[in-house]
Amino acid sequence: MKFVSPIFEVKNLFFQANAQKILDDISLTILPGDYCAIIGPNGGGKTTLIRLLLGLEKPTLGKIKLFGQALNQFKRWYKIGYVPQRASQLDQNFPATVLEVVKMGRIMKQGLFKRTTQEDRDAIQEAVTKMDILDIQNKLIGELSGGQRQRVMIARALASKPEVLILDEPNTGVDVVSQQRFYKLLRELNQNENMTIVFITHDIGVIADDIGRLFTVNQSLLTCNNPKEAISCEDMSALYGIDAHLIHNHHHH
Amino acid sequence: MTEMLSYDFMIRAFLAGIIIAILAAISGSFIVLRRYSMITETLAHSALVGVAVGVIAGTSPLWMAVAAALLSAWAIEYLRINFHLYSDSVLAIILSGSLALAVIIVSLAGAFNSSLFSYLFGSILSVTEEDLIIMSIFGVIALGLLGLFYKELYFIAYDEEVARTSGIKVDLLNFLLVSIVAIIIALSIRIVGTLLIGAMMVIPTVAALRFRQGFAKTIAIAVLFSLLAVIVGMSSSYFFSLPSGATIVLALLFIFIFSLVVNRR
Repeated sequence: MKFVSPIFEVKNLFFQANAQKILDDISLTILPGDYCAIIGPNGGGKTTLIRLLLGLEKPTLGKIKLFGQALNQFKRWYKIGYVPQRASQLDQNFPATVLEVVKMGRIMKQGLFKRTTQEDRDAIQEAVTKMDILDIQNKLIGELSGGQRQRVMIARALASKPEVLILDEPNTGVDVVSQQRFYKLLRELNQNENMTIVFITHDIGVIADDIGRLFTVNQSLLTCNNPKEAISCEDMSALYGIDAHLIHNHHHH
Repeated sequence: MTEMLSYDFMIRAFLAGIIIAILAAISGSFIVLRRYSMITETLAHSALVGVAVGVIAGTSPLWMAVAAALLSAWAIEYLRINFHLYSDSVLAIILSGSLALAVIIVSLAGAFNSSLFSYLFGSILSVTEEDLIIMSIFGVIALGLLGLFYKELYFIAYDEEVARTSGIKVDLLNFLLVSIVAIIIALSIRIVGTLLIGAMMVIPTVAALRFRQGFAKTIAIAVLFSLLAVIVGMSSSYFFSLPSGATIVLALLFIFIFSLVVNRR
């Protein structure tokens, strides 16, 4: 068996905030090329889990490794593209053109003096084309629709040529046609470029036949490694939100 | 006009003013976009403590002002981060505290006089050759640092969280930014004065933002406004014998009103 170093390796992760248990003994492994969705009820800890993986929160207990390295020693952040949920909450009047935002994605790839190389220009061009924002690249971000702004944020993440793309509810406030186009794009990135995709979502029905792995988070974690065949995964997940203990027991017995 | 430039003190004042105008507009834009404008007022009052010490000790007040403003900037960041205090209350506390300290030092030394007045409101007559050298040295350092980290600072201002997950050392750069701002404010005291420097950091950017451009253009407009205000303000200071800080800020106010009227929506 060929050894592949996991992209994320989480062992016995606990997280508490203000004496309240948010995540309880989570262990998971995400391998290169995985295509995973994280679902679960609001307040169940989905976003917290992602923030922990990205080092934005410190675990109460437990170990997180990124690309085989302990999180606090990890330096190659350009390998990870992150598209947070609150893209629409950023300052709408901030003076930035679409292109200026996408270029931010290249900063950590550039040297101390930040000379823009041909490689930078190509990566930016590619990200802009892929996300279909070429015609709006000189617009101010404040002039964009919600869907357009979301695409700009993803283009910024893609500009660093990441190996993993992490998206937190990428389709909040985006119309159905754009959503379908968006999932098609994620699938292409995953299949054609072997990019690892991890995203939090509500609309599990739309993508259930696509995704490779399904994580259900509600304080504790339920992993479903073959959602395609095990249709019950979906049902279980739905149940999980309503009666966590029932499923939790199922899981262990 | 040419007569004005035949005086050495006026040439020095203009050179100093141009350095300050460029630095204040650039660093001010990051501060404004981070909703941190009030830190400029606080640091200016802290710089006044340095001035008071310098005047009494007979050393260059500018060196002392830079030191005091830097210490204050670090204290603010330390308090804000380690004690989880509200940013604006920390600023209010350090502002009043600094002013109280400055007043006590000055009173004890019996040095309430016209030279102090020039530190409060600026004076084109006060820029010495030594001042100009100090301003040039620190000015080049500050501009170099801003140039080096301008892309990171911009990313942080727009989206601090993603900047962090991109591997940018956000805390270090925040610290660097307030340090640069502290130095620029201390250097500005001669020309603009403690009580008026805040306007110099904030108004050019706020006016430039009204033109709704991308970041690079917004900064360019801000620098242009800042230079215009300094040149007009210092010339009026010369012709009407008024404190230069006040005339510069008034010029900035006109520019601000102009930007509001031109960009009415």
